[in-house]
Amino acid sequence: MQMWLEILLRTISMFILTLVLVRLMGKRNISRMTPFNLVSYVVIAIIAALISVNVITNIAFGVISLAVWALVPVVLDLLSLKSKWLHDLISGRETVLIKHGKIMEDNLHQLKLTGEELLRELRHKDIFSFSDVEFAVMETTGEINVFPKSDKKPVTAHDLNRKVSPLTEPQTVILDGNILNEPLASLGLNREWLRLQLENTGVSLDNVFIGQVDSFGDLYLDLFDDSIVLPQPRVREMIYANIEKCHASLMTFALETKNKDAKSMYIRNAKKLRQLLEKLEPYLLR
Amino acid sequence: MTVASQVKQTLAGMKGVQGSLRVYSAQTRDEESRKAFNEALTVTKEVIIDLEDRIRELEFEEPQYKK
Repeated sequence: MQMWLEILLRTISMFILTLVLVRLMGKRNISRMTPFNLVSYVVIAIIAALISVNVITNIAFGVISLAVWALVPVVLDLLSLKSKWLHDLISGRETVLIKHGKIMEDNLHQLKLTGEELLRELRHKDIFSFSDVEFAVMETTGEINVFPKSDKKPVTAHDLNRKVSPLTEPQTVILDGNILNEPLASLGLNREWLRLQLENTGVSLDNVFIGQVDSFGDLYLDLFDDSIVLPQPRVREMIYANIEKCHASLMTFALETKNKDAKSMYIRNAKKLRQLLEKLEPYLLR
Repeated sequence: MTVASQVKQTLAGMKGVQGSLRVYSAQTRDEESRKAFNEALTVTKEVIIDLEDRIRELEFEEPQYKK
């Protein structure tokens, strides 16, 4: 066989084989791998390269070695799902770096991590003063994760004691001017609904780049033609404003009427609307 | 503007709110929000009934409506 042909065939088959093997090894982010995982990937890559350029002349030997390097990590991963002990043995255990706001110098030393490096990692997490940290841990992948002191954590709605409406993920229903049927169906809506919404906003389907429906069923659009200014859905704010307006009118009627029954009726209903506004505020305004 | 027509305007406003709330109670995916909208619907219904009764009384009192 001609040399170039052999190289071509070897390279193509190695390409496909390596692709299959790496897919088999799972979906790990390269930057979040344990060092040993990285080693097995590198070894696989090198063996595949050597086979394809004919440095390893015997394909069978090469493939055996390749298979071992690819499949043993998979088997070990499966076994370590079952056994915590094996898992710790293979990927190691996470190391606590800061506990109760105090740096654990012994652990740092063990990891050969200098104070400078620790501070750099903290800065990565937007923490510039180590006194803001309650707890920090180095994961088995070498990544450092930080639990800030409770007064240094970002404020949440819960901290502010504010009720916010629960939201589910928005669904993308239009992409590049095409209607996506599956997400639309999962919302319980159909093309007819979408057509009506587009007609109401006054845009044509082929002008829409992205269309998303949020959990309240409001449609948000981005157009190819950015010179068109689209009104954003404000119906929920409008409902709130209208209830407020009705509340104000009822109060006025209550003041103006001389009929006692009517007065109490107006006041009673105004109170109902006031309570309704308080209850609906998180759903309509936030 | 007579009192009756003012009350009628408010009634129309409430009916608009009721319509929009009904749309949201149908198309909201989150169960808790949907419940809140449904409760709101019952309240608006009560207010609307009271206002309609009042309008009937007012029309009886204001003779220009009886033409």
